[in-house]
Amino acid sequence: MGVPAPGAQVGRVIELALEVPLASFVLRVQATLGSGFTAVMGPSGSGKTSLLEAIAGLRPKARGRIVVGGEVLLDTNRGRRVPPERRHVGYVPQDAGLFPHLTARGNVAFAARAGRERMATAIDMLELRDLFERYPVSLSGGERQRVALARALASEPSVLLLDEPLAALDVGLRERILPYLMRIRDEWRVPVLYVTHNVGEALALAGEALLLREGRVEAVGPPLDLLSSQGVVRAAETGIENLAQGRVVSHDDAGGVTRVELGTDFAVSIPLALGRAIGTVVTLAIRAEDIVVATEPPHALSARNVFEARIAALERTGVDTTLRCAVGPGGRPWLVRLTPAAVAAMGLAEGRVVWLAVKSHSVRLV
Amino acid sequence: MFLTIRIAALATVLLLPVGVAAGVVLARYRGPGKSVAETVLSLPLVLPPTAVGILLLRALSRQSAVGGWLAVRGIEVVFTWKAVLLATMTMAFPLLVRSARTAFEEVDPRLVGIARTLGCGHLRAFFRVTLPLAWRGVVAGTVLAFSRALGEFGATVMVAGNIPGKTQTLALAIFHDTQTGHEDRAMVLVGVTVALAFAALWTTEWVSRRRARRSVV
Repeated sequence: MGVPAPGAQVGRVIELALEVPLASFVLRVQATLGSGFTAVMGPSGSGKTSLLEAIAGLRPKARGRIVVGGEVLLDTNRGRRVPPERRHVGYVPQDAGLFPHLTARGNVAFAARAGRERMATAIDMLELRDLFERYPVSLSGGERQRVALARALASEPSVLLLDEPLAALDVGLRERILPYLMRIRDEWRVPVLYVTHNVGEALALAGEALLLREGRVEAVGPPLDLLSSQGVVRAAETGIENLAQGRVVSHDDAGGVTRVELGTDFAVSIPLALGRAIGTVVTLAIRAEDIVVATEPPHALSARNVFEARIAALERTGVDTTLRCAVGPGGRPWLVRLTPAAVAAMGLAEGRVVWLAVKSHSVRLV
Repeated sequence: MFLTIRIAALATVLLLPVGVAAGVVLARYRGPGKSVAETVLSLPLVLPPTAVGILLLRALSRQSAVGGWLAVRGIEVVFTWKAVLLATMTMAFPLLVRSARTAFEEVDPRLVGIARTLGCGHLRAFFRVTLPLAWRGVVAGTVLAFSRALGEFGATVMVAGNIPGKTQTLALAIFHDTQTGHEDRAMVLVGVTVALAFAALWTTEWVSRRRARRSVV
């Protein structure tokens, strides 16, 4: 990809070698994570929340080793187990976990070690002044999340653990909270573990992704690499299957398209996006079922994007057949989903050269 | 009458920390012996008060371990106000514990966990989160316990007797006056008990309604 992902920072500051017995399996996590934003992803019940709770010290049965920023929080071999109140973690559970008997102000000020200055910054950044005297029952979902974020930040954490902070919110609200999270990432310089199901969020925020499946780490790496591989794609709710990062090269006002260059000799047309300045790095998403396959170079076709590709593999996935294609000069791996009937009628097979056509409107910015 | 209120108040004050502690333990503890402990604690609710009184009397007699220990130190309990206190406490305790326990069970343990991550030790988390959230149940239990202590009859009469000016509480006096033909005096005392009960119940209502305004979902 070559382009540094947002949120990526040098240095490995979180070291995990953990075992947490859960109801139906043992969560085993072995990973070292950077100081930026790490998206923790995986299907429901794969142990994401338990991982955060273990780091926060709320899982007394956790064994192994946890080191955050040089501080050993857990090392059961050496009999070390720092209690949660001395771990300096900011934990925000999925439902925000506000104290119902305290106002928004009381919640933010709850942290025993809240420094005044830090608190004021958190309150201003999350725009909470107007909510101060209200109790959690009278706050909306997004407001609760903001209060909970401010409360966690005010406790001067050395790591932030956010459990799907946006999951309970509708799309509009998500869009409004996302910038706050970006500001936390860019201004507070605190490592963040961020549980999410949403590929778009992970790409927008995280420099790294940790994938869990049934209590095991399936992969750790840049989100773009991980999320475009097939195993993960099935787990992702959104169904975005082909992701690529590129640079905006031109806007064609009259033609209504913006060109995004994915590499040398490889550019994609997307619907005009004047909001993205030329030179900006963007991430594109194309659903596997939105790609049309032709066995000859198409001439008269409205689709703006036609790429030559080679079929690397065919795989039956549920009712569909998924083609793994190597696209363009670099042989980028793209997935295409067709009905088995189409595959049979066209005589598609491994090694065959095909042309993939994608309408501009099927390419979305994430 | 003042003897009654004094004893009931003292019993409640003494019971409160113990009852709250027992409520917390019963709400959080999962393990062997839990149901046995629960049953023993609730026994005074289901046994006839006179039966509880006899058991207390036996426990305090000079032949028993506890009674003997007290006697050696010259502490006289039976047929004194201390016996009244003990009897009322025994009878009121389960009411407080049961109510406190339910209240503590309803506190989301995750909120306590969050308080811990925010820098609170066990005790701080208890006083800043658990107790405030269970407050209504604890108050209700306290009032119940206080009312029970005011009206306790059976156990008291067994261990403390019915000595006017010394161990005669309101409930005992009402019985005594009726038996000796002073029904009008008994009615006055009945009026007093009704007033006390009203005051206690209204206080709880008032407290819980004030708190409810903030936390109704």
